[in-house]
Amino acid sequence: MARTPEATDFLYPFIEREERDAAPLMADLARSAQAKWAQSAVLRAETLQQGDARLRAVATAMATCFAAGGRAFTFGNGGSATDADAFAQLCTRPPWGEQLPVRSLAFDQAVLTALSNDIGFEVVFSRQLEAYGRRGDIAIGFSTSGNSDNLLAGFAQARKRGMLTVGLAGYDGGRMGASEDVEHCLVVRSDSVHRVQESQAAVAHVLWAFVQSALGPAEQLTDPDQKVAS
Amino acid sequence: MTPPSEVISPLAPAGADEGAPIGGLADDLARASLALARRFKAGGTMWCCSPTWPFHAHHIAVEFVHPVIMGKPALPAVVVPEGRDLVSTLRASVRSGDMVVAVAGGDEPAVAAAMRRGDAWGVETLWIGAGPRPPAGAAHHVLWLDQDDPLRASEQFVILYHLLWELTHVCWEHPGLLRPEVCTDEVCITCSDEGRPAEVISVQGDEAVVRTPDGRERIDTTIIDTPSPGDLVLVHAGSAITSLESGR
Repeated sequence: MARTPEATDFLYPFIEREERDAAPLMADLARSAQAKWAQSAVLRAETLQQGDARLRAVATAMATCFAAGGRAFTFGNGGSATDADAFAQLCTRPPWGEQLPVRSLAFDQAVLTALSNDIGFEVVFSRQLEAYGRRGDIAIGFSTSGNSDNLLAGFAQARKRGMLTVGLAGYDGGRMGASEDVEHCLVVRSDSVHRVQESQAAVAHVLWAFVQSALGPAEQLTDPDQKVAS
Repeated sequence: MTPPSEVISPLAPAGADEGAPIGGLADDLARASLALARRFKAGGTMWCCSPTWPFHAHHIAVEFVHPVIMGKPALPAVVVPEGRDLVSTLRASVRSGDMVVAVAGGDEPAVAAAMRRGDAWGVETLWIGAGPRPPAGAAHHVLWLDQDDPLRASEQFVILYHLLWELTHVCWEHPGLLRPEVCTDEVCITCSDEGRPAEVISVQGDEAVVRTPDGRERIDTTIIDTPSPGDLVLVHAGSAITSLESGR
């Protein structure tokens, strides 16, 4: 039903259903996108600059595990589960450098649904780490809040098994930042889930590059199927 | 492949591109967001695919299905099942009014073939990528990064689809702009039978059954070489007037 035009409508161009011209909204959205793009770039640069020494130290510890035959397991929920997958893919099918044994625990729906159904979602990572994890392996958990119960349970199990534990978190690090089970918690200091994830992607990439660098020039056994840049 | 000269290539904290305005890409994002909001409002489903980087497809879908901001509506976004022929899977899945979003390099043949079928299937197509661009007109919306570093490109894809999600929801709150576009031109290429793309379903002699956004049609194929199922043809006044390409 059409509403009756009011004298003050010009103050609220978007409030009613009569809006027809998309151009002003398009201009607003483009400006907003520009501003957020710039914010993301600033956060990324700050995160990597401030975290540089920490990232190198974590990468060295990870490289030591890999060099000794250790494997890494990545995990996370939602968008962070896709970050866990991305890191595993980068390590196993790298654009350059050494292939590394890294597997995402967020990937197998049979295992995830079995554990969720039979026990509960809080054990989906810890139970897998109990089965797969060995002393000298690495647990890498991705979270934006740093508060996910199943990640904290995973880290606790990993520590119990003598694994190296690395967490990526946002905000102030949340419970992961305060947990003794997370030996290295890399925090992207922002309270926007999206901006945190964007910089976490960069943190993961830099971590990977530093691990490659710490492992030294190895034979370049790169997956021939890997597509680069295209 | 050898490492780039700078091992810390992805670090590049003060690279020239970092804070640079994204220019036309921001306008492309805004237009794509409005198009997606319109399709969602009309009941469309968004199909997400990324043959090389499946995690990007999963990330896009989860953003829309389970928004990070409480109170935003859950919108139907789905990952196209991996490991199968992309065109064939989409053909079986999409319905007129849907959307297909791909994150892929400009030379990904399966994505190009899927996007080419957008008008025959009645789906809005959106191609996100970096490096060499796909040919002009390869998709309804092309969101392209001028970025040669594969890792930086991957990071920027995340920003792109986060913004795509956010802007789509802003558009969602402008119902006046989400109505179907009404055609008012006196002679309109879309409304007149000016040569519409269709996909061949089956062939019988000089006739074929084709898929169009409006459903199935039986057409005459006398004036083109006998097409095969999966082929794209241009239909005018009940006849195939040219074959657009071979299908699979």
